[in-house]
Amino acid sequence: MKRTDYVLSQLFFDLQSVAAATAYRADRAAVLDRYALDPDIRAAVLADDVATLAPLVNPYLLRYYCSAAGMPEAVFLEKIRG
Amino acid sequence: MAELAGVFAASHAPLIARDWHLFDEPLRAKLTAPYRRLGARLRAARPDIVVEIAPDHWSNFFLNNLPSVCIGIGATHLGPPEPFMAGFGHTTLAGEPQFATHLLESALAGGFEPSVSHRLALDHGFCIPLWRMERDPLPPIVPIVINSLEPPMPTIARCIAWGNLLASAIASFPGSARIAVVASGGLSHSIGEPTMGAIDESFDAGCIRAFEAGGERAVVDYLDRTLPAAGNGSHEVRNWVAAHAAAGSRGFELIEYAAIPEVYVGCAWAAWNPAA
Repeated sequence: MKRTDYVLSQLFFDLQSVAAATAYRADRAAVLDRYALDPDIRAAVLADDVATLAPLVNPYLLRYYCSAAGMPEAVFLEKIRG
Repeated sequence: MAELAGVFAASHAPLIARDWHLFDEPLRAKLTAPYRRLGARLRAARPDIVVEIAPDHWSNFFLNNLPSVCIGIGATHLGPPEPFMAGFGHTTLAGEPQFATHLLESALAGGFEPSVSHRLALDHGFCIPLWRMERDPLPPIVPIVINSLEPPMPTIARCIAWGNLLASAIASFPGSARIAVVASGGLSHSIGEPTMGAIDESFDAGCIRAFEAGGERAVVDYLDRTLPAAGNGSHEVRNWVAAHAAAGSRGFELIEYAAIPEVYVGCAWAAWNPAA
């Protein structure tokens, strides 16, 4: 089985809530402070580094997250397709 | 005893709701017509209860508790939590605890150990077909979630077994209820992975041929061989497999197939005739 990052997955899962996504877009760092992410993964999140994040989470959660974070679908497609 | 009133299947896609306002009229018609035809078939079957088999898209379950199969036995289910589904208009949907409990007990007696929920949220996977088939009022729904989202997932052979169990539970349910089965999901699609947007029409054609031909073994063999490379969303075909078996594996009638890149899905609509 693939390596799954539970904390990263939890963040992405939680951001399905409209209120949580709104708060995240307003202040990413404040929301990320509540999750014990590995520093490299936190940096990848802040950098919208989809290539680094993709192997660590379920693909549906990754797509939900990028949408919740405000990334346009076209940009997400470009990043995920490499 | 209850009667199996009909068995149906339809694709779903969040963009059918989220981006509907962006679609031109030909695309809307391409999607609307087969859902309406399927809805007419379902209406003609006059079901008192609909058992709907669909995936959960991270609406009810997370990695801390991820059942392979879950039966919703509540009197009430929650409507879809996704904001883009607001137009569906149902914040709750009626359940049918008596049959759901009978199905659960039949499962446990038959060597199956499903998870149980007294209050499932029915996300777009359940509700887009109900919405687009224009069922109003909605019949009571007994939802079955089969995990097709995150590995490990039930085998195709196990989904056949679940379909057979469902048929047996319907046949042994006291009373005269007419019970229909609706499978939601598939066919090929890829979401959130490098092949996102790819539709595997060859895989879809093979699925359709296998379901049309009938039987269990050929469906299992075909999907065991092809499903791992058909895109992550294609795993939802598990729901069609369970429906196929519930209908007696006697072959289905394809109502429509259309690869629709605007919604990222190889869309199909079908009806089995359990009496054939």
